[in-house]
Amino acid sequence: MAAGLASKCSRVGRSLLGGLGNNLSGLLSSSHEMASSTFLSQQRTFIQMRTVLKVVDNSGAKKVMCIQALKANKKGARLGDTIVASVKEAHPNGKVKKGKVVYGVVVRAAMQRGRCDGSEVKFDDNAVVLVDKQGQPIGTRVFGPVPHELRKKKHVKILSLAEHIA
Amino acid sequence: MGSKILPQALITIPRNPNQYPPVKLGFSAALSRRSSISARVSLSRVSSSSIGSVFSPIVSAISKRNFVVRADPSSEGEVGATDDAQENEATGSGEASVAVVEAEAEAVLEPESEEPKPPRKSRVKLGDIMGILNKRAVEAAEQERPVPDIRTGDVVQIKLEVPENKRRLSIYKGIVISRQNAGIHTTIRIRRIIAGIGVEIVFPLYSPNIKELKVLSHRKVRRARLYYLRDKLPRLSTFK
Repeated sequence: MAAGLASKCSRVGRSLLGGLGNNLSGLLSSSHEMASSTFLSQQRTFIQMRTVLKVVDNSGAKKVMCIQALKANKKGARLGDTIVASVKEAHPNGKVKKGKVVYGVVVRAAMQRGRCDGSEVKFDDNAVVLVDKQGQPIGTRVFGPVPHELRKKKHVKILSLAEHIA
Repeated sequence: MGSKILPQALITIPRNPNQYPPVKLGFSAALSRRSSISARVSLSRVSSSSIGSVFSPIVSAISKRNFVVRADPSSEGEVGATDDAQENEATGSGEASVAVVEAEAEAVLEPESEEPKPPRKSRVKLGDIMGILNKRAVEAAEQERPVPDIRTGDVVQIKLEVPENKRRLSIYKGIVISRQNAGIHTTIRIRRIIAGIGVEIVFPLYSPNIKELKVLSHRKVRRARLYYLRDKLPRLSTFK
């Protein structure tokens, strides 16, 4: 309950900040959001340096902060991209420790991602699955839904471990 | 008396070359027709007719390029006719250029001779074209699969065929939190809590990938966009 309240407050705060200070989101957001006033609508943007993401596998980390968006456009990483991140919070006995630099695959992003048939998908949070340099996941389980954009990016192992494919 | 622009769209292109076959006429008849139509002819054609009776293939090619831009069946027919005439042009010279003129004149006059002096048809305004195209596309999509009336607050179930996921159809269930009307790209936004995380997906209603669209129930809402559900308890967005 408290966690839900905290996440709600952060989301509202983020939306207020997002409405005022979204200098990067010129290209990305769909025209739907621009129709309503920018103060009320939420401008979701890319995953960039200093973005804190949730870790949704059982590798031991809880929160990571993005350091670099690999192979992405200048603006940042999106759903399905790989990022370099630093572990900020971890379980006491896990495969990764706090302060370690890891690679991750973004499996859920609050920014909508368009699909080739005209549909768009967005999640309520930003989440990442830790992988190694080759792209194989470090953990053995993945929690929560994952989009099937990962199939195209050749992250088949993560898709097979997932609970639900959105 | 401008040239009659029939309210047809680009969809009617394949029919046109049959409607306007290039008929060879006497040269004098073509000249008289040319002078009569020059008053009516729109700006792109005035340049070609004003050059004079010497119609070189280059001029006809330039005038042909002006025609291609317009979504106008009479001009499309002329393009088709001049295309046919151009093939003949490779063989002949003077006679072929005359044939181009005659084809143009004949194509413009064909609709007028078919309906002798009908009541003046209303012109299609430039701003209406997208509306007409969208309506046709929507009707064509409705033929494939009738789309039920979906409103905000409906709990729907969508069966989607995804080309990546070439297995059984994906099923998406959820509450419609908004509907954006934009002709053929009318979309609905579905929200649902999946595995503890809220997911919102935007679906274009008239997409051919949607195999089934069923309304399960309806929730009474007093808004057109239910974005407040994002801040509310997940319980309100959960649908078994």
